Amino acid sequence: MIEIKGLKKNYMLGETTVLALRGIDFNVSEGEFISVVGPSGSGKTTLLNIIGCVDFATEGEVKIGGVNLSGLNDKEITDLRLNKIGFIFQTFNLIPVLNVIENVEFPLLLMKKFTAAEVRKRAEKLIEEVGLKEFIAHRPAELSGGQRQRVAIARALVTNPDIVLADEPTANLDSVTGASILELMKEMNQIEKTTFVFSTHDANVLKYAQKVIKIKDGKIVDGE
Amino acid sequence: MGLIFKIAWRNIFRHKGKSFVIGTILFLGALFMTLGNGVISGMDRGLTKNIIEGFTGHIVIISDKQETDNVLFTLMGKPIEAIGNFIEIKKVLNKEDYIDKYLPVGRNLAMLLNEEGGSPGNGFLLGVDFAKYRAMFPDNIKPVEGTIPEKNEKGVILPSFARKEFYGYTNIWFVPTGGKLIEENFKKETKEKEEPVGIKVKDSMVVMGFNDKNTTMDVRVNVRAVVRYNTLNTIFGHFALIDIESYREAFGYFSAESKASEISEDKKKLLDMGNENLDMLFSENTLMTENKSNGKADVKFTPAVKQEKSEVVDVDTGAYNLVFIKLKKGISIDDALLKMNKDLKSANLGVRAVSWKKAFGLIGSMSTVIKGALFLFVMLLFVVAVIIIVNTLSMAAIERTPEIGMMRAVGARKSFISNMFLAETGMLSFVFGGAGVIVGIITVNLLPLFKITSENDMVQLLFGGDMFYPVLSMSDIMLSFLQLAIVTFAAVIYPIKVAKSITPLDAIVRD
Repeated sequence: MIEIKGLKKNYMLGETTVLALRGIDFNVSEGEFISVVGPSGSGKTTLLNIIGCVDFATEGEVKIGGVNLSGLNDKEITDLRLNKIGFIFQTFNLIPVLNVIENVEFPLLLMKKFTAAEVRKRAEKLIEEVGLKEFIAHRPAELSGGQRQRVAIARALVTNPDIVLADEPTANLDSVTGASILELMKEMNQIEKTTFVFSTHDANVLKYAQKVIKIKDGKIVDGE
Repeated sequence: MGLIFKIAWRNIFRHKGKSFVIGTILFLGALFMTLGNGVISGMDRGLTKNIIEGFTGHIVIISDKQETDNVLFTLMGKPIEAIGNFIEIKKVLNKEDYIDKYLPVGRNLAMLLNEEGGSPGNGFLLGVDFAKYRAMFPDNIKPVEGTIPEKNEKGVILPSFARKEFYGYTNIWFVPTGGKLIEENFKKETKEKEEPVGIKVKDSMVVMGFNDKNTTMDVRVNVRAVVRYNTLNTIFGHFALIDIESYREAFGYFSAESKASEISEDKKKLLDMGNENLDMLFSENTLMTENKSNGKADVKFTPAVKQEKSEVVDVDTGAYNLVFIKLKKGISIDDALLKMNKDLKSANLGVRAVSWKKAFGLIGSMSTVIKGALFLFVMLLFVVAVIIIVNTLSMAAIERTPEIGMMRAVGARKSFISNMFLAETGMLSFVFGGAGVIVGIITVNLLPLFKITSENDMVQLLFGGDMFYPVLSMSDIMLSFLQLAIVTFAAVIYPIKVAKSITPLDAIVRD
């Protein structure tokens, strides 16, 4: 599903070159539930951003479903994000002016593949699965942090993507809510058979992962 | 598209402050653009209507010798070339089926002599046949004092503006023949509050033509009426109307009367005789011949006449300077000019036809200048509105980086973001700009009710008449909407560029 070879990423910070990733190699198979762990500044977010076509590698090769990302133009990358990848961010997850169901429907409407009834049915099913049926007409501002992340998970899954990437999805949540989010993600992984890659620096969440990739200073120090 | 409009509509309410600022600018911009269009249109329509219907007609025929087409408001009163063959021109004009009416006139600058020995005045004279003039422009003047002369009557019709101007030069207050100073009119016209003491009141004037081509004469003419032009009195009021025969005398032109008293064939024979045949003068046959002339002298050299009525002659046989032409309804001036000039040229009459705008020279240009200035003002509003909207929208785009970045991350293309911004601005433009246009239309329709008038030349030009009368045609309203659309589109280009450049990574970095 995901093939990464010799991935390097350098940033310029003023006149200093920051080596964010210093040669990463790993593969992710279909349906896996993988956690990328490491301390702050270790390169977790950069790695997820590159896998999610949000950022670009300085060197190396990243393939999603056999497609090499380096040869794609903006439109192709956008379409890849829409059709193959689901995103869950730490905070800025939802469109403020749309309610829960409209937020979940959003990527499906962008795809322009389904009828309005099909879009509504699929969105309702996922909202029900993430336990927000009662909040279907609520706007993001009317939801708690945990509820917003649930909506984000439903939206990430609604297009039936190959991979869901979650960058520290529990970072801004209390431990109970964070645990429930990870349980939900695990559950979705099992129900929808979707590959999940999520980053965290919280050692407590490791128990949920099927496979853990430990990163430090831009390098994999342990992959189990 | 439904999704884009939904997001755009809700974003307008979410960012109420910014929406209100942009909306207000669009409202004011649209309002001023509509008012500007109304003023321009009203001025154009007013000037066209008032000048065509009340002063020149659509087309003016001038001599080919005339260097410039500007023949009405010439600088320094430069003399206008004479047209001596109106009878021939008339034959051509009578064949043109698109012509409604025409009127030959004399037009030049004359000096108004001050019999009291002070500084002379000056003013433009329009030499006309009064009856024909009234037939051509039936409603353009109304008497303030005296009565408008009838057919073949002689004298001068003095506009109230010209009377005030002459008074300024000479301290002479003209009144119609046999009339006396009417204090009410004096105070109204001169805006003087004090009683008119020590003012010389006269009912006739001595005019002398300015002409660099031939001898001019001083001619005494009776003031028959003081009038007001119904519109643009301050501008048209520079022109006093004088009977054409007195005009010709003043400018040394051959008159119809002089034509009527042409030398008989017998006298011509006498003049053709050489000195060697002078003896023949004393033969009985030539000494006692019947006088076939009407006995009048060539008026070109006749001192000031005081007769009120001219002899019944065909005034068209004399000289003129211009021919005013009114076209039938619906005839294009450009098309008529093309046809008329072709026919005048082929008849080899030494004249050409020009549009009223060109004939009006300075005034025509001034109206174009004012029109251009107003257009620039409207364009300036455009630019200011665009700059403010661009700034506000660009700020909004940057502030919405997380939202836009997230949309891009989940698969929204750049075109989606562009359309979202375009829809937001378009909706604001439609609601607020549309309201501005509607308020503008209402204002334009209400303004004439206030009967705003001016006696200032420049303001009258801006008004297109004495009264401020902006108008909006359907095409003007469409133009306002088009301008609004252009403003909206121009204002949204840069913010769209800013929004499109936002990447998901920008959102992450910002977060």
